[in-house]
Amino acid sequence: MNVLEVANLNKYFTEPVRNQVLKGVGFQVKAGEFVAITGKSGSGKSTLLYLLSTMDTDFEGSIMINGEQMKGKANRWLAAFRNQHIGFVFQFHYLLPEFTSLENVMLPARKLGIYSKDQIEQRAMDLLKLLEVDSQAAKRAALLSGGQQQRVAIARALINDPSIVMGDEPTGNLDSANSSTVLGLFKELAKERQQTVLVVTHDEDFARRADRRIYMADGQIVEG
Amino acid sequence: MKKRLTNIALSASIAATYMKAKLRQTLIATAGVAFGITVFIFMVSFIQGTNEYTQDVVFQQSPHLRMYNEVQIADQSLLDRRFPNGINQVHHQKPKDILLNLKDVNQVLDELRADPRVQAASGAITTQVFFRLGSSSLNGKINGVDLEREDQLFNLSSKVIEGSYEEVNVKTNSILMGVGLAKRLNVTTGDQILLTTEKGGNFPVIVAGIFKTGLTDIDKQQCYASIKTVQKLLGVPASYLTEIKVKLFDKELAPEISQQWQARYHYQGSDWKKDNASLLEGDVLRRMIVYGVAGTILLVAGFGIFNILTMMIYEKMKEIAILKATGFSDSDVRGIFLTQALVIGAAGAVMGLVFGFLISYAVSKVPFNSDVMITLDHLPVSFKPVYYITGFTFGILTTALSGYLPSRKAAKMDPISILRG
Repeated sequence: MNVLEVANLNKYFTEPVRNQVLKGVGFQVKAGEFVAITGKSGSGKSTLLYLLSTMDTDFEGSIMINGEQMKGKANRWLAAFRNQHIGFVFQFHYLLPEFTSLENVMLPARKLGIYSKDQIEQRAMDLLKLLEVDSQAAKRAALLSGGQQQRVAIARALINDPSIVMGDEPTGNLDSANSSTVLGLFKELAKERQQTVLVVTHDEDFARRADRRIYMADGQIVEG
Repeated sequence: MKKRLTNIALSASIAATYMKAKLRQTLIATAGVAFGITVFIFMVSFIQGTNEYTQDVVFQQSPHLRMYNEVQIADQSLLDRRFPNGINQVHHQKPKDILLNLKDVNQVLDELRADPRVQAASGAITTQVFFRLGSSSLNGKINGVDLEREDQLFNLSSKVIEGSYEEVNVKTNSILMGVGLAKRLNVTTGDQILLTTEKGGNFPVIVAGIFKTGLTDIDKQQCYASIKTVQKLLGVPASYLTEIKVKLFDKELAPEISQQWQARYHYQGSDWKKDNASLLEGDVLRRMIVYGVAGTILLVAGFGIFNILTMMIYEKMKEIAILKATGFSDSDVRGIFLTQALVIGAAGAVMGLVFGFLISYAVSKVPFNSDVMITLDHLPVSFKPVYYITGFTFGILTTALSGYLPSRKAAKMDPISILRG
């Protein structure tokens, strides 16, 4: 089954001059696949990821996630969809520094509002345990080390059991030891939990160890 | 619906965390709002208390409704009646010579007293006289009143500072003199003076008491006596009265009732609103000043909230982006910041009401002695709930408005431009 189907995707930037960044991009991703998108700076890979994230709605073509068309949906609908089906991990950890690690992980689930607060807390604790940062649960996020923050961010991305986990340079800010732990985690997620992982990366090592690699140049898919 | 509620609760709990993190700024903003409301409550209570007090002083002396006869120019000349279709010019028309007394006055008084809206009605006879003692001769007014009823209407006996109120009632040819007038004539209780009427008659009377209303105009020019004394002075029969004074249960009805009675009895009429137009106008102006000052203070407090939220939003741009990325909608984000503004506003408003009340209460206990306002022993303060309701609404509205703009900015923020760096 395809979790993600992209067809004939075009994207233009109008500032400072009109410029086509994505040119007829199309590909599919199956459930449980670990995909790395690579390419040089300016190849359009990040732009592609933000389109897939549903946060950027200004595009031509079609994006289907879990069989749902993303084109032409209202902002509120997309926010709810993101909340339930997409998990994010960014280059710079991006936790809310005033909240504890546990609260950070719980936030998307509380927004989803399906489980009770106790259940959510239990699930969040389980995830932190899985990522081996449960000892930091009660600490404010600002006090954690970079590697710990990134793990908490991954736990947050997983709390709602999303169909796709997306990462924008998730290891870009980490040392090699932490990088390889995060990489291992993603692989494990894909294999054991059958979660689709889609990562934009510069990291050659990371890309090589993915199930599949999509190489982009000049707004087109060259390989993969 | 339940989903909506949990969303609001979630926004509120995020807002609470942010406020805790910025406790000092939040407290300062709250204090700003509280200060604005405090000043508003205190000023309104104090100024309104003063207004009400002066109104009470004046209205104690002025009836809600008066009826009298007045010398008037006839609006129709005899020629008009004789030649209704002609063009008639009468130059230098003289005022009609009419008797100033009210017709059938005793019957009318009985009727008025039977009216359920009327608290008390009293007839009076008023005339201009000269008060003479030795070589000094002062112009003034003497009111012949039903002293018992006058006491009901205006609480006159409490204004007597020397001599006896009852004595004036029992003894003919005795008068109650205004304190200013007594000072100018240099008389005290028991002294005899001479009254000269406009017709020229002289009439000796005894000063039986001295009163002080606190209104200089009255104290310097007027005297009270029994109706009989004044009727004797003018040489008119016992049914001759020139004025009816009425106190109503609801004084707001006065203008309307005045119209009705003027039509029914063919007297001239006036009410307390007409008689005290300038005083009432002054009250309105003072109230406008209060609202202006309080509004300015709240505006400044509002700018404080606006600043704090705007700064917070710039500081938290990345976090707003991440909230949106994890599925928080624009309105959730708006809710987070709007909640902060409203909490600051509500807390500030409540504190302001409490402090405003405490200060007003303290001020109302400050002793204050005035030569003019003799019945005043403490500063006058009004404690009407409506000021507190207004103050609270005012505070919430200002903060909601100053919180709305930054919140909308946060809601509209594009997460991608921030996440891409």
